[in-house]
Amino acid sequence: MQIRDYVLRRLLILPLLVVGTSLIVFSLTRIGGSPIGIYLSHEMDDQEVAQLEERFHLDDPLPVQYVYWATGVLRGDLGWSGVAAAPVTQVFPAKLTASMELAIASAIVAVVLGISLGTYAGARRNRLPDHITRIFSISGASMPLFWFAILLLIVFWVNLGWFPVGRSNAEIFHSIPHPTGMYTIDALLAFDLTALRDALWHLALPAITLGYGATAIIARMMRSSLVEELQEDYVDAARAKGLPERLVLKRHARRNALIPTVTVIGLTFGFLLQGAVVAEIIFQWPGLGRWMADAVLRGDQATIMAYVMFTSVLFLFVNLAVDVVYAYLDRRVVLGE
Amino acid sequence: MLRVDRGFGRRGLDSRGRLLALLAAMVLLAAACTGASEAGDADAPEGSAGGGDTATAGTGDGGGEAAPGGTFVHAADDEPLSLDPAGVEPGEGGETMILQVYERLLEIDPNGPDLVPGLSTEIPTVDNGLISEDGLTYTFPIREGVTFHDGTEVNAEAVKYSWDRVMEMDLPGSAASVLIDNVTETAVSDDGAFEVTLDQPSASFLRAVVTQMVASVVSPEAVESNGGIAAGEPNEFMLQNMVGTGPYELISWNRGENLEFEIHEEYWGEPANLDLRVEVVPDPDVRVLGLRAGDYDMIETDPSFIGDIEGAEGVNLYTEGLLVEPIHIGFNLNVPTDELPSEDTISADFFHDPRVRRAFNHAYDYDAFLQGALGGFGDFNPHYIPQGIFGYDPEAPVYDQQDTAEAERLFRETGLWDEGFTISVITEEANLFEIAALVLKDSLESLNPNFEVRVLAVAEAQFDEAHASNPMPYAMWVKNTDPFADPDAYMQSYVHPDGEWGEVHGFAQGYQDPEQIASLIDDAALELDEERRAEIYSELQNLLYDDPMWLIAAQEGIANAHRDNVEGFVLNTLWPRPNVKFALFDKS
Repeated sequence: MQIRDYVLRRLLILPLLVVGTSLIVFSLTRIGGSPIGIYLSHEMDDQEVAQLEERFHLDDPLPVQYVYWATGVLRGDLGWSGVAAAPVTQVFPAKLTASMELAIASAIVAVVLGISLGTYAGARRNRLPDHITRIFSISGASMPLFWFAILLLIVFWVNLGWFPVGRSNAEIFHSIPHPTGMYTIDALLAFDLTALRDALWHLALPAITLGYGATAIIARMMRSSLVEELQEDYVDAARAKGLPERLVLKRHARRNALIPTVTVIGLTFGFLLQGAVVAEIIFQWPGLGRWMADAVLRGDQATIMAYVMFTSVLFLFVNLAVDVVYAYLDRRVVLGE
Repeated sequence: MLRVDRGFGRRGLDSRGRLLALLAAMVLLAAACTGASEAGDADAPEGSAGGGDTATAGTGDGGGEAAPGGTFVHAADDEPLSLDPAGVEPGEGGETMILQVYERLLEIDPNGPDLVPGLSTEIPTVDNGLISEDGLTYTFPIREGVTFHDGTEVNAEAVKYSWDRVMEMDLPGSAASVLIDNVTETAVSDDGAFEVTLDQPSASFLRAVVTQMVASVVSPEAVESNGGIAAGEPNEFMLQNMVGTGPYELISWNRGENLEFEIHEEYWGEPANLDLRVEVVPDPDVRVLGLRAGDYDMIETDPSFIGDIEGAEGVNLYTEGLLVEPIHIGFNLNVPTDELPSEDTISADFFHDPRVRRAFNHAYDYDAFLQGALGGFGDFNPHYIPQGIFGYDPEAPVYDQQDTAEAERLFRETGLWDEGFTISVITEEANLFEIAALVLKDSLESLNPNFEVRVLAVAEAQFDEAHASNPMPYAMWVKNTDPFADPDAYMQSYVHPDGEWGEVHGFAQGYQDPEQIASLIDDAALELDEERRAEIYSELQNLLYDDPMWLIAAQEGIANAHRDNVEGFVLNTLWPRPNVKFALFDKS
């Protein structure tokens, strides 16, 4: 089978998976109770509550409610976000791009650090550099994120004043167009060094915080895979042929060690995207995580369902992408299909 | 695991490529750090917390000095839900923004409870003839030469439009009832004044209605050009945009980040000194850190954070006065016993006996709540006028001390001491209300092991759903009152047998003389002589001590923190929280 056919086959199955996911998501959120609460205020009486229930079809049977919701989704109407006081579709794109920007930056930090540390440690197995590297990377996974984030804030924001919180200097932010919604990319597209500087300056602390936390997973996998690869016969053969160790490592062993690591990187990105709640709250990053935290605490089901559907679909696509990359790295995966 | 030997000769990214990538990364990193250092060196350092600032107060504890700037940055604890006076919920964050951008016919003086002219040039009285002899018609001469932010003229027609709009839309959860319940007719007089006819004389109309955010004047042109008026339907444009007459114009609302305002250059009154940016910072720790760093000029906080702020360099703490939103626990006299939690053992008439309600009030450990949850910042008020509101009687008896002996005596008299009970109290989770409920639990269960109090701490949405139910499926609940400017509003909402909570909770079944209570409240509402009115309220406060319909845990103290370079600071608890008008402030 060609890779193209492999991908097409996966894409055809995808809609079925999405529909199934939507049924599960809808059912689970409704089990928690009626979503009417977020639209209420303590000023309302029972008649006004009944009016709202009629307006949002919450007095209809559950299957009918699902049909209303699903057809709304297909029309691009994801409902009204009570916490944002705006249609979900109006708020979602900006928050998504903000979260993606942070997730990408954090992933870059995690990948660069993780692969570098993993390679460094794997090549020096059980020696002092290996132990130090492992301590450094695992500390990132061990430290509570909120504690590390606040620590960075106190040191670099409050005491030193080197870095700010939030996403941007509003004046600079509004001085450039935002075709992508990602500040760094938009600044590059606008060839605006001031805006780029501002974007990176604001991105630094939250990206380091999140990325450092994800480093351990990637470093660990890279190290383990590399150690395994370095014990293979083909590596012995390469060494016997007189290749410098540096080339044995970089040209041969590392590439194979990347295969399982790529899978982990894909999953890590997904977790970074959805798991940045604490970082977004602490660093005032206007992303999905903060929005979701509010929505969960306040019972905003429209927002919760939109987010859960989005992350579910995202994971499906990320897994597909990982499988494609895997197939590219190892053609026997495709042949096996 | 599959292995693929790629063999010799295959080259990945070559060393030159890797070097270029490394150099690119270093350039980006240098750019970022250069951005930081440039910002630190600039005359107007950019403490950009989520949004922009032309200049802010400077860095905090370990950083540089505060610098004068063009923008006042306030860190709010929550995001508005609506910026429309017709849709904003009383006590909600949107009222703060409306206070800055919109104006009303009359305003509350910054330095006290007195009224001052706003868009009306005079305060109506009987003496100046602007209140009719029968007290039913009020006339407001409109200030000339005032324009809305969109350039259209302010006149009596615009005021009539604004008030009629609120009443016609009558949005759920809004304060529309403030107008609807009082106003019979609005009109424009022949000489261009705005006239209001009430359905009955009211001593509280000017303070309880005219100065409220729901009575703000909006641009008819802006509304008509953007969806117009639809009964029962919110106007999406007005919900997200503001076109008023005030010293600030809304520039942008970046959800989850901030709201930006700029000075309205054509403002008819004293112009604002600084632009305004309201940062949305839900995390209280981050607000405190931001204040100390100098990124925020003022923050919303509560007494539990005073310890973190006190003594911080460059920060002023203002803790004078009390909020006018007492935290209270409700007694439900209309208990639907078949809908209560299954663990509850109380009868439908559990709270009908005033001795039971007094016993609960005597049993409560007020000191624990005040010193614990409020850090000592707060006080107590009689039922039911908060300190700082006209009519408050400092001599009236107050439940402010736990009296376990009296509580026990009353419980024994009613037979509950030996019988015991299990009762549930519902509250929002993770805030002062939950703590108030836990103090109730501890107070009663420590008093008698036969008493059990189940605290049901739920999400805000769940609480609101229960709160809106009639009958309410819980025997007790915890919340704070809405903030009002006039005592009649408190009495009507929380005391009157036929009032908002009187109807839902069946106060008439519990008062020893419900007609007397109703009569006194109604008389006070009509009494235009302030001295006599105060006497009536004093009588009520004394009566209600023996016939309480609530347990008032405390009146929370004010906790405002701002940078010490803020000038012109003034706070008035009769304004919506955080009780300030930013246009009055400046920075040195």
